[in-house]
Amino acid sequence: MKALCWTGVNEVAVEEVPDPRILNRQDVIVRVTASSTCGSDLHLLDGYVPTMMAGDVIGHEFLGEVVETGPDVRDRRVGERVVVCSIIGCGRCRNCRAEMWSLCDNSNPDPGFLETLNGHATAGIFGYSHAMGGFAGSHAEYVRVPYGDVNAFPVPEGVADANAVFASDAVPTGWMGADIAGIRPGDVVAVWGCGGVGQMAARAAFLLGAERVIAIDRLPERLEMTARHTGAETLDYEEVDVLDALKEMTGGRGPDVCVEAVGMEGHGTGAQYAYDRVKQAVRLQTDRGLPLRQAIHACRKGGTVSVLGVYLGFVDKFPMGAVMNKGLTLRSGQQHGQRYIPMLLERMAAGEVDASHLLTHPMALEDAPRGYEMFKNKEDGCVRAVFTP
Amino acid sequence: MVAKRSLGLAALAAGGAIAVGYRRRKAVRPGPAEWFAVTVDCGPEELSGANRPDALGRLTEHHEVRITPAPGGRGTEIAVHAADGKVREEVRALKQFLETGEVLRVEGQPEGHRTVLGRAAVPVSRQLMRRGVR
Repeated sequence: MKALCWTGVNEVAVEEVPDPRILNRQDVIVRVTASSTCGSDLHLLDGYVPTMMAGDVIGHEFLGEVVETGPDVRDRRVGERVVVCSIIGCGRCRNCRAEMWSLCDNSNPDPGFLETLNGHATAGIFGYSHAMGGFAGSHAEYVRVPYGDVNAFPVPEGVADANAVFASDAVPTGWMGADIAGIRPGDVVAVWGCGGVGQMAARAAFLLGAERVIAIDRLPERLEMTARHTGAETLDYEEVDVLDALKEMTGGRGPDVCVEAVGMEGHGTGAQYAYDRVKQAVRLQTDRGLPLRQAIHACRKGGTVSVLGVYLGFVDKFPMGAVMNKGLTLRSGQQHGQRYIPMLLERMAAGEVDASHLLTHPMALEDAPRGYEMFKNKEDGCVRAVFTP
Repeated sequence: MVAKRSLGLAALAAGGAIAVGYRRRKAVRPGPAEWFAVTVDCGPEELSGANRPDALGRLTEHHEVRITPAPGGRGTEIAVHAADGKVREEVRALKQFLETGEVLRVEGQPEGHRTVLGRAAVPVSRQLMRRGVR
């Protein structure tokens, strides 16, 4: 079959690779019908995630049809149209049973790297380096899905592929960012980053009761898209001082909830951004943290900062003083998608959640290298390139 | 000028002595833990008597194994004494098997062209990560 492989820093190529097969009794094989680029893939492309090996198949946000089931699969059926959670859960360990699926104890068979780096290993992720389990990714004609009963979700009729594919990652990740922040009616929520996840966090914040949502980015087309599809107010951080603007917009209090949907390669302005870039380039810090610092600085006293952007290791100049003295609550995690996906598919079917506008560039899998180039450089208003094998 | 230099050298020497003294005191690093432990989401009764899994039986033949209920009824702790990399892999596999009924495999998945170095490195790094370092 054809698959998109990581071949080196900033290099991907479509290659002919063997078809996947059932390796465990609870596996299902899915024929991929749509597989999306995700901002977190850029950390792989840019070489910031170690343990990538040339030849690894990437991609983790996808939709398809079940074509084969292992002997211990009970609920999934051949022919079902399913969306698969990008984060793999076993469904049986204490963390999965507590609905904290991305903290699964069993879905990362090679936990040593993360144990050394972070103290403990977290769940396996499709197509996201050997540190995250070394699972083959979804930018391919077929993909093997471990623990198929708990990780693949039938998509209701009437929900289009272009919408449902984002129920794999962007929509549940955004939803989780708003959910774990404990948004209460009347809250003001600020969201850093107007990519797919940030937009979905903004939408979720409104659905969970926020009165105002303020989304922050620098790309006019993304700001406009966010305003149009989520109803959020927007701030262009290249035009205004975000901290001043947020204080002004919140009567001096600061947002009740700050959602950071940017991650370890955050962009910014001024001396702090230059400092971060240099330190990351010479590996004195693994992750850049300007938007995260800004979110902490902006958050109201006693508020909550919800971190959705992917960080791998260490952020320099972390403002612990602000966290401590302002009594902030810090919430974070890779998405516990299995907790939210069935509910989100229902909301999609009911028309309450629609992510299809994120799909700006449908492309054939053969064109995926060009798709990643456009996505990375944000060419032609690209928010998400989605590949069809 | 000479006096100043002497003073500077004396200060350096004193600093060095303090540094050496500090290093001496810190020279003995705490050793690694002697037990490798995992918590399995089951009751202790599922790990004893007729219920005892074969893999656990094999571990106890060559290693001291401690089985204790986790506080608050939150599963059972299995600790193995003097576990090397291979044993750590076996203990992790035991937890997976007890909780999910099988041991997850990643070998045999689709992969693209590996470089010569990559073909050699993938199994080695996989084994390192599977076993983890202590």
